[in-house]
Amino acid sequence: MRFAALPTEFAVLLLAGVVAAVVLLYLLKPSPRRIPVSSTLIWRRVLRSRRRAPDRLRWWLSLLLAMLVALCVALALTRPRLGSSSTALHGLVLVLDNSVTLSARTSDGRTRWDHAVERARGLIRTGPAGARYLIADTQRQIGSPHFEEVDPALATLERLRVTLGGEPVFPQVVPRGDPDLRAVLITDGVARLEVPGGVESLPVFQVADNAGLTAFDVRAMPADPVRQQAYVEVFNASPGPREVEVSVTGAGHPPLTHRLRLAAGASAGELFDVSTFDAGPLRAAVSMAGDALSADDVAFSFAPGHRVRRVVLVTSGNSTLERSLRLLRRVQLTVVAPGRYADRAGVDAWVFDRYAPPQPPAAPSLLFRPSRVDWLPAAHSDTGETSVSAWVRGHPLTEGLSLQDVIVSNGRVVRDDSRFEVICADAQRRPLILASLHGPRRVDATFALEDSNLPQQAGFPVFLSNALEWLAGESRSVQARVGLIEVPVPAAKVLDLRGHTVPTRRLPGATLIDAWEPGFFTATAPDGRVRVAVSVLDPVATNINASRFAETPAAPALVSEPRWRVEVWTVLLLAAALLLVLEWWTFNRRLTV
Amino acid sequence: MAASSALLDESFLRKLQVLSLAPRRPAYGQLRGMHRSRRTGSGLVFTDFRPYSAGDDIRRIDWSIYLRLDRLVLKLFEEEADVPIYLFLDASLSMDFGTPTKLEYARKAAAALAYVALLSHDRVSLVAFADGIVQALPTRRGKNQAPQAFRFLESIRASGQTSLHATLREFFGSPRTRGIAIVISDFLDPDGIEPAFAVLRRFRHEVAAVHVVAAEERDPPLPEEVVLIDAEDGTANELEVTPSLLEAYRETFARHVRDIEAYCRKYGWGYVQAATEVPIESLMLRVLREQGLLR
Repeated sequence: MRFAALPTEFAVLLLAGVVAAVVLLYLLKPSPRRIPVSSTLIWRRVLRSRRRAPDRLRWWLSLLLAMLVALCVALALTRPRLGSSSTALHGLVLVLDNSVTLSARTSDGRTRWDHAVERARGLIRTGPAGARYLIADTQRQIGSPHFEEVDPALATLERLRVTLGGEPVFPQVVPRGDPDLRAVLITDGVARLEVPGGVESLPVFQVADNAGLTAFDVRAMPADPVRQQAYVEVFNASPGPREVEVSVTGAGHPPLTHRLRLAAGASAGELFDVSTFDAGPLRAAVSMAGDALSADDVAFSFAPGHRVRRVVLVTSGNSTLERSLRLLRRVQLTVVAPGRYADRAGVDAWVFDRYAPPQPPAAPSLLFRPSRVDWLPAAHSDTGETSVSAWVRGHPLTEGLSLQDVIVSNGRVVRDDSRFEVICADAQRRPLILASLHGPRRVDATFALEDSNLPQQAGFPVFLSNALEWLAGESRSVQARVGLIEVPVPAAKVLDLRGHTVPTRRLPGATLIDAWEPGFFTATAPDGRVRVAVSVLDPVATNINASRFAETPAAPALVSEPRWRVEVWTVLLLAAALLLVLEWWTFNRRLTV
Repeated sequence: MAASSALLDESFLRKLQVLSLAPRRPAYGQLRGMHRSRRTGSGLVFTDFRPYSAGDDIRRIDWSIYLRLDRLVLKLFEEEADVPIYLFLDASLSMDFGTPTKLEYARKAAAALAYVALLSHDRVSLVAFADGIVQALPTRRGKNQAPQAFRFLESIRASGQTSLHATLREFFGSPRTRGIAIVISDFLDPDGIEPAFAVLRRFRHEVAAVHVVAAEERDPPLPEEVVLIDAEDGTANELEVTPSLLEAYRETFARHVRDIEAYCRKYGWGYVQAATEVPIESLMLRVLREQGLLR
């Protein structure tokens, strides 16, 4: 026996104290009043006619009952637990697989995870006396697993949850070469874990139907960049063919629905024309009768704006730049010579090549080595040959871009200007690209494209695309798996689809979102907005029947723990109550004193 | 003139002057008294005639018969004699119980009975007993002996255990004229009353048992848990007093009283239960007269 509320030594001490106290109270019990009477002759005759147990025996019986009552109550306070008396095993390492497939429902309506927790609870409660327990999980929810007593271990167990994202890993918590240690992994066998030798596996696997989304993306139609289509991939992980219904919903248009019949283990990719949806979040969903796993039934994506951007390139001739701009999606390019430049409405962005108008244009502008004008940072000398040595990585202009190898043969050295933020600089911290949010947005490259190898960089179209999107103020979007998501916006405020603020953690140049279920979030910061679509979209997670236990005929049935479990302390309290009743009865019958 | 004492006040003694003991059998006393006896003599109640013989008192010759029959015939009268009264007073420790104590009550009863007997010119012997004779007042006769008797009774203190049998054997070990033995006791004798009363039966005394009972004995007020200490032998009995146990006690006590009364009735003896809560006047003037012990 072990005691949950007290260390064993204290519990034994408590029980001994209770016994001593009861005996002492009995010894200190005030003796009956001594009353003289004329004669006890009549009383003796009365007592002779009444059979009664000897007083000493009655006293002992009374003491025994009182002691039993007190011991029952004291033992109940120590919350004893029954277990094997073996002291050989002193530790149990319980690793619970809490990857997404554990949230699959079983035939009894509960989840595999419920069964796993039940099994773990059972192992702890029926563990040997004095044993300690280490609870760990494959999703690293428990940062520092350590050995605990029964109750803390049970509490730790109750805190664990299934994680819908993240790569399951068997934690390094099983010390080698300890014969007194038992290690048990409770899993459905779907996650491919590298389980060390000597670890017992307790399966909680049961075959179940599931169809899930494994891909969801929104992109422009190749033939018509202005139009957009959503690609949805559905995977039937059920053991047989199933009818599924796939739908895409978004703002500005009724949901689009496709019905499919999928063979067992088959996938199907469906295309939905979402051009008519408004820019914003899109939700794809799959539904199937008897679907066991709901986590992979929805996915989110972001439909960017599909309006054509009108861009005017002011250059005296730069075919590379012109061609690059023309290749960008949704860009309607007009090329004018600097002499014919005139600011006008109806332009989404200006691109100035080695030219700058005397007055700032009303629309945002991208400038390459602009001529000296007042509204731009003043230039005072040339840089000579230099290269990019540092750039702001979290800025929308540099998203998905490396400027590592950009060399500038000659650029202009500009003075610091508080209106402009330095996006990249050379080793001497001389700005090479600057950006401004004051007034219409500006991106100022202090060098001409011919004076650098930037056009030859693979990321040049990305730079142009980022620049035009940023100048147009369009939102960026991020597709992410469920889990911790790093959004490249520092100190962002993150809202979910309902407008509720989502808890975040700040990182240098980024914000970390705890997104543990599919959803859509908007991270807002002063210098931009990022849409974050979070989905499971994992074929391994959807394939809930790909268990290594699937073919094991001897896989134990899922045994559920009784819903009502009798604790020892409740039995003890009940026994104390019964003993009290017995004591009362015996006292009234004069069987006890 | 009444001889008042601490035991009995003068007014009560005056009331007692109208009483006398009522023996159920003719008196065997040697002296003249106020009770009928089997002897003929100079009484007032004619009983028989007998021929005159020399030496007879010529004052009793019936001269009318002599004139008619010319024979000397004596008229015989029932002689009134005294009765020896043996008053046994239980002075054991068990009598020192109750409010008032049984001994106090018994002392008053004994004083009153002795006074009545002395008024009737009976010879009164007072014996205080416990496990034997503790104190004894030799036979006294005549009203003027009452103060002595009272002083004797006042001097009695409770002591020792009860042994009525030993007392009676000791007392009647010496020759005693047959008389009335009045035993005033609680009869809580560990040996029982039968061996003692057998002694009285053997000597053919007329017996009157005055059973002194305290209210606390009939219905003892006891707490739930109690150790009863026997006043006589000091033995302790631990009890848990329950209503059923109390009821059993009351029944046993009543049976004890009934047994004594039944024994007395069986042999034609007088039995009086003297409850200490009954005033002594009431006992003497009403109860004892109702029971035929006094008239």
